[in-house]
Amino acid sequence: MSGDHEHDDYDPEAGFHPSCVSDQARPTFDADWQRRAFGLAVALSEFGHYPWDAFQKELIGSIGSWQDAPADARGRWEYYQHWVAALSSVVDRNGLLEEGYVNPEDREGGVQHAG
Amino acid sequence: MTAEFGYSADREEASAAQVRALEALLIEKGIITSGTVDKVLGYFESEMTPLNGRKIVVKAWTDPEFAELVVRDTPAAVAQLDLPIGMAGAEGEHLAAVANGPGVHNVVICTLCSCFPWPVLGLPPYWYKDPVFRSRAAREPRVVLAELGVPIPDDTEVRVWDSSGHSRWFVIPERPAGTDGMSDDELAALVTTESMMGVALAGASR
Repeated sequence: MSGDHEHDDYDPEAGFHPSCVSDQARPTFDADWQRRAFGLAVALSEFGHYPWDAFQKELIGSIGSWQDAPADARGRWEYYQHWVAALSSVVDRNGLLEEGYVNPEDREGGVQHAG
Repeated sequence: MTAEFGYSADREEASAAQVRALEALLIEKGIITSGTVDKVLGYFESEMTPLNGRKIVVKAWTDPEFAELVVRDTPAAVAQLDLPIGMAGAEGEHLAAVANGPGVHNVVICTLCSCFPWPVLGLPPYWYKDPVFRSRAAREPRVVLAELGVPIPDDTEVRVWDSSGHSRWFVIPERPAGTDGMSDDELAALVTTESMMGVALAGASR
């Protein structure tokens, strides 16, 4: 994984990421938190806490807000920060951390949890 | 740019802390167990790799009937192969292949929504998710391809496919010339992830 941070100053408005012209099976995650965030989002969807589309919608929204913001008013481009924002939103929207949340496998007759 | 470094290191740490806290809370609430994320990641990293895509491409190169089916009904074609595609919600059911051939070169893009065809290509390279790659590839694919070392002749049509929740595109690259006597394993070695995204040619040496 050494060398993964050599492009930390990459500016997406200026041109291609340097790895774009040299990539061959480059590691996908630059940091373990990115990998955990990826795994969490997929795991929660796989186990029925929300449909994958719901996560995607949040991710599209987060990236869209970044793209629509003026260049001097937004942070540096970091894909996995949008991923984490989307994960937090979808967890909130589906009430996973609220009192009385029922795991999908415990819901009676497969009926979707209403609250 | 060094002034920015401290700022982004802080953001990195904040994101890392946020992810740790969220996972810990979900475990505490009994939504997941301490092994859930590792199990899912392990499955992805061991089973959902470009090896699957390579097998599909080699089959298409060596079996004309399969080559026809894989672009007409990709899930049906993929189901004929013994691939570890399951565990779906996040990916498999909307796979769609497009084939390069004389006069046609396909490129797949998607920055916005993580719609990369994971089951067959593994996880996307970092740069694939950059907004500039997506917007430039959509706007001026020939220029982008030339920059990537894939000059496309003027009389070849370039088709750009935007992956979405409904269709996760991948490319069947053209079989390189001079590969007639090769075994399936030798052919598979020519198929890179990049070639299945249309940003490289199969068998292109670097």
